[in-house]
Amino acid sequence: MLKKEVIQALLDEALETGADFAELFFEDTNQEVIRVTSKDVSNVSYNNVHGVGVRLIKNNDVVYGYSNEVSEDKVRALIMSLRASFDGEKKEAVALKDALPFDNKIKRPMEAVSAKEKTDKLLALSEVILSHDPKIVQSITQLLSWKQSILVANSNGTYQDDERHYARVILMGVASENGQMQQVFEGPGRAMGFEIFDDIDTFALAKDVAERAVHMLSAQPIVAQEMPVVLANGWGGVIFHEACGHPLEATAVAKGLSPFTGKLGQAIGSSVVTAYDDGDVDGAWGRTSFDDEGMKTQKNLLIENGILKSYLVDYRNGLTMNHKPTGSGRRQNYKFPPTSRMNTTYIAPGKDKVEDIIKDTKYGLYAKQLGGGQVSPATGEFNFAVSEGYMIEDGKLTTPVKGAMLIGKGHEVLFKIDRVADNLDFGQGMCGSISGSIPTDVGQPTIRVSKMTVGGSGGQA
Amino acid sequence: MNTKKWIELGLSKGLSDVEISVSESSSLKLVAYEGKIEQNTISDVSTVSIRGIYEGNIGKVRFEYISDEQVDKMLDKVIENAKVITVKEPAIIYEGSASYPEVKANDFDFSSIDMTKKVSDLITLETTIRANEKVSNVQTAVYQENSSGAILTNSKGLHLTRKNRFAYAYGIGVFKEGDDINTAYEFDIFKTYEAFDPNKLANITIEKGLKRLGAVSLPTKFYPVVFSNETFSDLLSVFSNLYSAESAYRHLTPFENKVGEKIAQANFNLIDDPLHENAYFQIPFDDEGVACQKKYVIKDGIFQGFMNDLKMATMMKQAPTGNSFGGGIRTTNMYLEPGELSFDDMIATIEDGVYITDLVGLHAGVKTISGDFSLQASGFKIENGKIAFPVNMIVVSGNFFDVMNNLVTLASDLKFDVSGFGSPSVHVKSLSISGETK
Repeated sequence: MLKKEVIQALLDEALETGADFAELFFEDTNQEVIRVTSKDVSNVSYNNVHGVGVRLIKNNDVVYGYSNEVSEDKVRALIMSLRASFDGEKKEAVALKDALPFDNKIKRPMEAVSAKEKTDKLLALSEVILSHDPKIVQSITQLLSWKQSILVANSNGTYQDDERHYARVILMGVASENGQMQQVFEGPGRAMGFEIFDDIDTFALAKDVAERAVHMLSAQPIVAQEMPVVLANGWGGVIFHEACGHPLEATAVAKGLSPFTGKLGQAIGSSVVTAYDDGDVDGAWGRTSFDDEGMKTQKNLLIENGILKSYLVDYRNGLTMNHKPTGSGRRQNYKFPPTSRMNTTYIAPGKDKVEDIIKDTKYGLYAKQLGGGQVSPATGEFNFAVSEGYMIEDGKLTTPVKGAMLIGKGHEVLFKIDRVADNLDFGQGMCGSISGSIPTDVGQPTIRVSKMTVGGSGGQA
Repeated sequence: MNTKKWIELGLSKGLSDVEISVSESSSLKLVAYEGKIEQNTISDVSTVSIRGIYEGNIGKVRFEYISDEQVDKMLDKVIENAKVITVKEPAIIYEGSASYPEVKANDFDFSSIDMTKKVSDLITLETTIRANEKVSNVQTAVYQENSSGAILTNSKGLHLTRKNRFAYAYGIGVFKEGDDINTAYEFDIFKTYEAFDPNKLANITIEKGLKRLGAVSLPTKFYPVVFSNETFSDLLSVFSNLYSAESAYRHLTPFENKVGEKIAQANFNLIDDPLHENAYFQIPFDDEGVACQKKYVIKDGIFQGFMNDLKMATMMKQAPTGNSFGGGIRTTNMYLEPGELSFDDMIATIEDGVYITDLVGLHAGVKTISGDFSLQASGFKIENGKIAFPVNMIVVSGNFFDVMNNLVTLASDLKFDVSGFGSPSVHVKSLSISGETK
């Protein structure tokens, strides 16, 4: 790691040709993956990501360079090459401040836990899935963990390090009967060490995975139609993530590509919708103490009773939009310049009871588990897959259905949310965008969308 | 990097075999917006991967912090990781194939082209798209060039090298007419700079975008469906893992016991050809150093056998197929053999159907093991044998294994995508399309 004085000198040099802003981002990340297949530890791998990213900005134009070689000479060479893009009067870098303490409350760092303790846990979880039912033919359990150490320094005086610990438990079960196969996957994650196993009842979840895989063997293909959809709490929040979270990122808003551009203070959803993005939820998968631009993370109110209150904004887009940064500058690693991204994004709980919402739905789809989804911020069009669903008929859950795909337009669906329950929960995933793949939480209580297009293959004559 | 010394160090630590691969890559990326370069990114990154066998088990590490002390530490990590493995599976470091196919190296030096030329060409791409009156914005326009080299060497005397250089460009146009908005782009990859024609790329993008304006949804029902060559390549790609020997061994493919059996209709020929001349890249050897070769995966509808790596080849007592990539079993250039019908002749037979040109959300809407898919799509309505009008916000649903047995015709328009999958356009008898009522 370079000394602070050296970093200061490099930032000064970076501004010599007139750049308004210079930033150095140092990273060392060590990741371990342990996989158990059925009754055996089948794979252990280790991956190290190490390097430096240099960013210069002038009039909102960015030049970025990165290398895995972290030496004063290499960083200087990158700076020389990057600053050649600009031609202007030298600016002065602000003196680097002292780093603030970061707080990640890790109880049992993964590197301090023996391989045996980890593999014992995974083998036991695998056994729970395998032994649940004779129809289960395969189980895979995995522990993914990594520690990302970063230091970010910029010409505005920011000098901030952070250490992020991530742990994710992957549970997968495959059930088979009469040539039919169904797989079910769960992947809870936390910004934690080995204590993730105290925080989450992984054994109950493993049993649930097996049970659902078997259950889905009897699911019928859903018949394509438009209907009300009740989205269960937790992972159901992926709808908000895709349909509204991404279009609220400055990446889309700054260029006027988002349907929410210019809508601050206006109603963009029904009055039952209040939503947040919080970068600082203790132990949450999507949490960091400081963002990848060195700003303290915070809780951002995005929508209040349907009214748009804030976008998610990084430093550079903040300049264009004249909007304060929201601690949302994120990147997968040093190979990406940061941009505005989500952390823990969720629809706030309402007052309804789940039972009442289902009881009041004459006919529709209950989407209990969702797979992933995708959105085009420019058009607002999104899709997401229902991995476990049930028909609702006369206010009751009936047949399990498979293959349902929900599509819609983000800015329209927000107005169609007509019921919000009180049971807020979260789910974890990896979110991909222009600054790479990063851990994020999605969340919501159970909600109902009054009408959605539901695709499926059932009902052929 | 002294790989020879590192191998010796590994052996002295008690590893019975050591393999080291080093990859070095550098890139330049330019992003244009509103007629100027808004982002310019340069990079060079080296990565070392080590695999070593310790008491019959294999340990793996990959790292970017490279120094002799780090290598020493990483070799210890290889041993530590190998010790944790309990599965009784063969661990192999390869002595090499008898011979390797020759491929033409892509060695055009993109960095020799003047930066101002690249900047002006990319700006031409961006501004030409933007100049169209129906274009409300250009989301982004990108030019990127990559140069990479890799060395694969091991304690059994194998020493292979490969080099690859290429560039690509695209611009995403936002097309608007009234309230109707859509986006369109054309991705082009090239092996010499001369092949980059920004005007042509811009014009294809504009043509695509304009054609899609005024798209509507469709009434929900079953329709005959034509998948474009590009979208059917996408489908072949998401289901390609089902032909992996590892999937068979782990009971993760329905084809587990189907070798030699009919799994598709008679004219369904699926081929994995690392050397196909129309594919973007020709691949002489895989990540374990096994020579790559052309083989039928499905011939005349009959499943020919699984693709493997060294471990699975040994376990299944078969010859290695050269399909070990990225730590798993992957295809090289996999394509569906085309038919003889022109695209227009294929469409001409359809009275009331849907031509699909885009599939969205492939990572979510497909159940690979069961074959079920349900995907957001857009394309065109086919009426009385002709392309009638653009369609969007529909979902196409079905089962891929059924599709493999229900192709009415295959067109002659084989096209490869950049990830190595290729297909002609295909006409599927009937699939569920869901849309909305207006």
